[in-house]
Amino acid sequence: MQLDFVNRELTIKLVYYGPALSGKTTNLQALHDAAEPGASGRLMTLETKDDRTLFFDLLPLTFRNQGSLAVRLKVFTVPGQVIHSSTRRLVVQGADGIAFIADSRASETQHNAESFMDLRENLKQHGLTLKQMPLIIQFNKRDLPEVRSEAEIAADAAKGREPVYLAVAMRGIGVVESFVGLLHLTWSALDAEHDLNRKFGFNAPAFLEQVAQKLGSKKPVSEILGACVGGALDVLRPEAE
Amino acid sequence: MMAVTTPEHSLDDLTLGHAVALEDLVSRAALEEMAKSFSALFHVPLRIFAEDGKLLADAADQIALYTYLNASKSGRAALQDVVSAVKSIDPGGEEAVYQSCVTGGGYRIAAIQYDGRRIGRMVLGPFIEPTVTEPAASLLNIDPELSKVELYTLFQSMPRVLDSEVVGLARHLARTLDLILFSGHRALLTSNMHLASVRESFRELEDKNDKLQAAYDRLKELDRLKSNFLATVSHELRTPLTSIIGYSEMLAEGLAGELTGEQREFVQTIRDKGEQLLQLIKGLLDLSKLESGTMSLKKAQTDVRAMLRDVSQTLTPSARKKGVELVVDLENGLPMLWADSERLRQVFLNLTENAIKFTPNGGSITLSAKLTSMDAAHQDDSDGMVLLGARRTAVEFRVADTGIGIPANERERVFDAFYQVDSSSTREAGGTGLGLSIVRRLIDGHDGTIRIEDNVPKGSVFVVTVPVKRATIS
Repeated sequence: MQLDFVNRELTIKLVYYGPALSGKTTNLQALHDAAEPGASGRLMTLETKDDRTLFFDLLPLTFRNQGSLAVRLKVFTVPGQVIHSSTRRLVVQGADGIAFIADSRASETQHNAESFMDLRENLKQHGLTLKQMPLIIQFNKRDLPEVRSEAEIAADAAKGREPVYLAVAMRGIGVVESFVGLLHLTWSALDAEHDLNRKFGFNAPAFLEQVAQKLGSKKPVSEILGACVGGALDVLRPEAE
Repeated sequence: MMAVTTPEHSLDDLTLGHAVALEDLVSRAALEEMAKSFSALFHVPLRIFAEDGKLLADAADQIALYTYLNASKSGRAALQDVVSAVKSIDPGGEEAVYQSCVTGGGYRIAAIQYDGRRIGRMVLGPFIEPTVTEPAASLLNIDPELSKVELYTLFQSMPRVLDSEVVGLARHLARTLDLILFSGHRALLTSNMHLASVRESFRELEDKNDKLQAAYDRLKELDRLKSNFLATVSHELRTPLTSIIGYSEMLAEGLAGELTGEQREFVQTIRDKGEQLLQLIKGLLDLSKLESGTMSLKKAQTDVRAMLRDVSQTLTPSARKKGVELVVDLENGLPMLWADSERLRQVFLNLTENAIKFTPNGGSITLSAKLTSMDAAHQDDSDGMVLLGARRTAVEFRVADTGIGIPANERERVFDAFYQVDSSSTREAGGTGLGLSIVRRLIDGHDGTIRIEDNVPKGSVFVVTVPVKRATIS
């Protein structure tokens, strides 16, 4: 997080993490497509010749709250390929919140787990733990055959702390829900630490509502947040209501 | 606020903060080139400024009217006022802001924005709407000393563009610049990420190197301890073994009473095996001495011919037993070598013994020696020979067999202690794998070299080259 008092601007860094080809870039593209003109900047992809993300994607989103505090959201992806470990570590540095994009296929379970361990290791290198980090998990590619069943995911998710979302990023399904859920968790954590709502007269629920609207969602925020299975959004919900 | 970006900027500075400056995203020369081409195409003077006011691109030719006005004091002052007014304009949104000029023309000033932030300004003008044909009164009245006719004429040569067109041009330019800046930013981020990744990988490698170095140091220390242990143990083993051999000898000689044939045979076996064990322990001891560098060579003038004949005599019985022919082929006029004759003899005993061991019945072994020069033997090391020293004469020894041969990729490793090409051959041929490592070290001790060549049509040749030191030592 970076706060510019002079221009009353807050920049929040959100990182989409996950194994190679789980759909991180697709999530950002879907967000970019969903966003109203003016709310989103160009999606920047730092890629290799063979079209795999080498460094990261960067999607800038800007929202201005009633309290005249502009919030800039910078959404990053990390390269999923195992060899880009040092790059992942660089990108994840300074993240305020993380969306972990998992591949729903049962065959990818091992890769998801490995990538998650890698995330934990990389956070550790920055002196952070997963517990401190606002985190949501998205099970992407729900439309493919031989995916882990919803019941199975829900059962596992109920045991965990992180809100879990189901998505088909290629068709934009579940993308905004995951993003709003992540933003909600991240804002709550930043507010708890920096007392932003009080200092800037910031209306967090209205802000989330605005973000959701500008991302083309017509549902009320409570419904968007409720789209998750399991996890502990509840803990933070009283504040959002 | 607009610090110049260097690679030292962290990724967060470049993506989250305010460190991105116009100059970092585009080359100044390229920006000026673009501005000039734009200006020439649309007939509007154009200047591009960084956010801190620095002029980055100037595509505005000196206008004759302004040159004329600048010559007069009040003309200059009036133009100064216009410049200050243009500078103080704060273009906020998309639309270019108009600023009139004392000449009756005007300027359009627009913001250059990137990622929602202003990072520079563009100033288009001065220009005059084509419909305006008469100079403004303000121009004619600046200074009574200026020629009205001249002012009138120069006014006509001012750039003429519709204001609405300039507004459109400014918008178009802003969009073009945005695209250029986006590409520039992308390139900047890519190169910064490259640098950061390389630095990060370098740090990782350094970490690993440190760990490897520590492990290597530890292994070296362990190796030293092993050599010490080997030396101590070999020494301690030798003492009781000497007694065992001594007493079994005495028994065999009947000093403790007459032995039956079978008893004598058993005692003889004990003695033979004891001797075998003693040779092995001596080998270990030699190796540990050589490894620790504590073996001293007793060098003296050595007769090569005598030494090789002795080797051949010693080994002829075992060669004959195996049905292998042992030939000695010595060149005439071999010089005396400055060497430890006992150790050198050990070298050739070992090599020849090996050769017998690995040569099948009916094969042959040739022991030869000839005079050569050291640099000729060292083809690979001949660089800078003229600087490094005179040719050294040397004796080249060859032990050639017709045995199983040694594959090329094994030829370096056979000199490692305890290494054997094929460990299954040990059972058949015997040996501890110590011999050649001792041989290599002994030859090193004589400044010599050893290598393995193919023997034609089969077998291998061990080529030992030992330099003949000038016999200056009496």
